[in-house]
Amino acid sequence: MIEYRNVCTTYEDSFRALSNVNLHIKEGEFVSLVGPSGAGKSTLIRLLTREISPDEGQVLVDGVNLADLSGGDIPLLRRKIGTIFQDFRLLSNKNAFENVAFALEVCGASKEEVESDVPKVLGIVGLGSKVKSFPHQMSGGEKQRLAIARALIHRPKIILADEPTGNLDMVNSYDVVKLLLKINELGTTVILATHNDKIVNSIGRRVISMDSGKIVRDQVEEGKYIL
Amino acid sequence: MKESLKRIWSAGWLNFKRNSYLSLGTTGVMVLVLLLFSALMAINFLSLRVVSSLQEKVDITAYFKSNATEEEIMNIKNDVSGLEEVVRVEYISREQALEGFKASHAGDILIQESLAELDSNPLQASLNIKATETSQYVSIVTYLEANKFRSLIDKINFYENEEVIRRVESISGGLQNWGFILTMALALVAVLVNFNTIRLTIYNQRQEIEIMKLVGGSSWHIKAPYLVEGGLYGVFAAIITLVIFYPVIYLASPKLEILMPNASLMGYFVSNALQYIFLVFSAGILLGVISSAVAIKRFLKV
Repeated sequence: MIEYRNVCTTYEDSFRALSNVNLHIKEGEFVSLVGPSGAGKSTLIRLLTREISPDEGQVLVDGVNLADLSGGDIPLLRRKIGTIFQDFRLLSNKNAFENVAFALEVCGASKEEVESDVPKVLGIVGLGSKVKSFPHQMSGGEKQRLAIARALIHRPKIILADEPTGNLDMVNSYDVVKLLLKINELGTTVILATHNDKIVNSIGRRVISMDSGKIVRDQVEEGKYIL
Repeated sequence: MKESLKRIWSAGWLNFKRNSYLSLGTTGVMVLVLLLFSALMAINFLSLRVVSSLQEKVDITAYFKSNATEEEIMNIKNDVSGLEEVVRVEYISREQALEGFKASHAGDILIQESLAELDSNPLQASLNIKATETSQYVSIVTYLEANKFRSLIDKINFYENEEVIRRVESISGGLQNWGFILTMALALVAVLVNFNTIRLTIYNQRQEIEIMKLVGGSSWHIKAPYLVEGGLYGVFAAIITLVIFYPVIYLASPKLEILMPNASLMGYFVSNALQYIFLVFSAGILLGVISSAVAIKRFLKV
């Protein structure tokens, strides 16, 4: 489903973020990307949403080389993916309902679909009573659950979570991971980038360790946080 | 399509409403811009009135020798009236000239006594000629000089007035040209100020735009509500401008009329109210929408 072939990425300041990365992720997998800051975890995720393009190599999703996508195709790719960020990246001027609805509306959903699906998903993430709350009226954990609801609403094939627990306490972190596991059980591929060893060790799924832009270890089953 | 337009409209309106401080500031700047446009229109109207009243005051008079008969003068009047560049020709007989002279010097006893002592009327019959443009007097004078009745004409006061006519022409031209340049320069400054204000407003929302892109929003889906928001700045700014501008000219117009009796600013803006309102709304909406479109472009490249 997702394939990185000899991928190299260098940022504008000449920082080599990825060096010759080869990786294959199958549909329905739950993959934890671990490693210290600057290891290249976020770069791997940003390549998948076409925020950046590799200098060398190819990134493929469902057999399509992302470098071949035109500007108009990029939103279509992003609609196949749900993304969760450490800093939540919620729309501050929109309330919980509208934040989630936006992701559904861009996919062309009708008003009726939006009105029936959004409250359901907000209920699933435990924000049924916060439908009209704005992000600034929510706690960190609630914001992240809202970001998960937004990532889920259009039933994406892939969920990318870039340090989703980075700004949360342990209780909220476990809640977020439980939600991600539940989503994965429904068949969605989940890629979780984190440096939280306790979280990773509790998941017990595939763990890919990265360091200095390279994959240094790939534990396909019952992976643990090892650098 | 209808649902999509409704969604765009409602997103734009919500954005406008929820960013109330930003919207207020941006609308305020746009009000200043539209007031400046309106003031420039008023100045343009007043300067045109100044030019036309100056031109109105310029004419030439051909004075006839005392042996010229009224019939001969009327023939010349008919000839001159036929010229394209002539707006009006007025015949003033010797008697009328005397009456006029007496009336205008009614309070001057010395002149009145001198006139009473004269046996005959010393004043000449004349034709007062008014041209469409001040620049056309030369050709009218040339025509009169070449006329078959030239021998009946004693003098044409164009030569005395030539310098005044040239000066009026130069002032009129200068007012129109410099007025246009000044209007354009101020309008450009106003547009730039307005554009930068909207750019800053959208710059404040750049993170939101990036997020919308990352969750799969197409450029149009993201851009359209901002265009609506830009248009709303224009609509509200136009309404506020009208609410301020009309009372101001209502108060200023009578005072200006003391200085320039033929220039009723209120009359001008009332008789052209529909065009003016259309212009203010169009300028506001276009400024808002175009500025938003240009400003948002760079943030859509995520």
